[in-house]
Amino acid sequence: MVSFHWLFLISILAGFVGAMSGMGGGIILIPALTLLGVDIKHAIAISILSVIATSSGSASAYVRDHITNLKVGMFLEMFTIVGALAGAHITLAASPRPLYIIFGLVLLGSWIALLVAGHETWQADAPQDPFSRWLELEGCYPDEALRQTVCYKGRRAYFGAPMMFGAGIIAGLLGIGAGAVKVLIHDLVMGLPPKVSTTTSNLIIGVTALAGTSVYLIAGMIQPGLVAPVVLGVVLGAFLGTRLLVRLSNQSVRRFFLIVLLVLAVEMIIRGVRGVL
Amino acid sequence: MSEPGVPGTAAGAVQPSSRRLDMDALVGYILLDGVLLSMALVVAGLFWHWLKTGHLVLDYQISGMNLFQLVGTEIREAVFGQLRPRLLVNLGIAVLMLTPFLRVVASVVYFVAFLRNWKYSLFTTFVLSVLTYSLFLRS
Repeated sequence: MVSFHWLFLISILAGFVGAMSGMGGGIILIPALTLLGVDIKHAIAISILSVIATSSGSASAYVRDHITNLKVGMFLEMFTIVGALAGAHITLAASPRPLYIIFGLVLLGSWIALLVAGHETWQADAPQDPFSRWLELEGCYPDEALRQTVCYKGRRAYFGAPMMFGAGIIAGLLGIGAGAVKVLIHDLVMGLPPKVSTTTSNLIIGVTALAGTSVYLIAGMIQPGLVAPVVLGVVLGAFLGTRLLVRLSNQSVRRFFLIVLLVLAVEMIIRGVRGVL
Repeated sequence: MSEPGVPGTAAGAVQPSSRRLDMDALVGYILLDGVLLSMALVVAGLFWHWLKTGHLVLDYQISGMNLFQLVGTEIREAVFGQLRPRLLVNLGIAVLMLTPFLRVVASVVYFVAFLRNWKYSLFTTFVLSVLTYSLFLRS
């Protein structure tokens, strides 16, 4: 059994980065736990349980700051939860090596897309399509960094919805919040401002993770020995990370994303390909 | 000079109604209190386990149980006289899982009863149904 203290420390770090970036803690937690000798499926299961805690904890702060868009969240959750149920069932049936490789590829894909997107800045006055207007996907939020209220209209929901189903599969499959993927869909496809997309994705992640957790729980993959240090650590880290996000500008959050995604992507792919698990 | 008024007027025109603001606060507190209660239960269970055994590693297994069986089994044990730290830890896991669930329940009530928004009533009800199904999965 891995030492309680190491599990606890690694989990604090994972929770901190997860909350800062809106990605959820799993993206760091799973590679770290496997390095500590935890089997990848157990790591995935404990991660997705901890993701409920991280996303709920940090979402609570964002929701009360009126940055999160509840309607966007509720609409997209319909697609992510069904995806998560499917994804978790696939993992239970899969062997470990492809899981490593898929994990790495998902991270790499997010990194590339985010790098390309880095040059565009968000535009407030882009036109809204009829479907997104019918869905009432719009809102305003107080931006602390800009010191003003920013208003926006969501777009291309017909395209964002099926993509969120895919994000749900990834979340259930890999035990991550898949926040990077969700943020990407919100940013690039639906045209939401970066802060709204990270915080709304946080809200969606909690419900999506719950669907996945239910599957792993009934399969006996949730180990109480991991629950205590990992979930407690992740929550503590997320609390600290959340305090920082509200104060940082959109650009620093994005830059931070890029570095973390690349390092982890390369690491997981190498381990999957070489079979050194 | 008019600077303090600018955010106010901008917000006044387009900011959601006060009902919406209340909902934001409610959702925020459900999420926060749920996570805090769950963490408190896990910490208490862990501390109790440490007092009993002198170490922090919880070495039991959970297999083939859904959320309700997880808590039900331990409550049955407690009623028949065997009160164990794992009761608190299992309750902590259960509370954590019920936290986003409760948030969705609150959203359904909000869209159905307060906003009377049929579109979003339908969406939230769908989400609630799928989650309820997942909580009652059996092995």
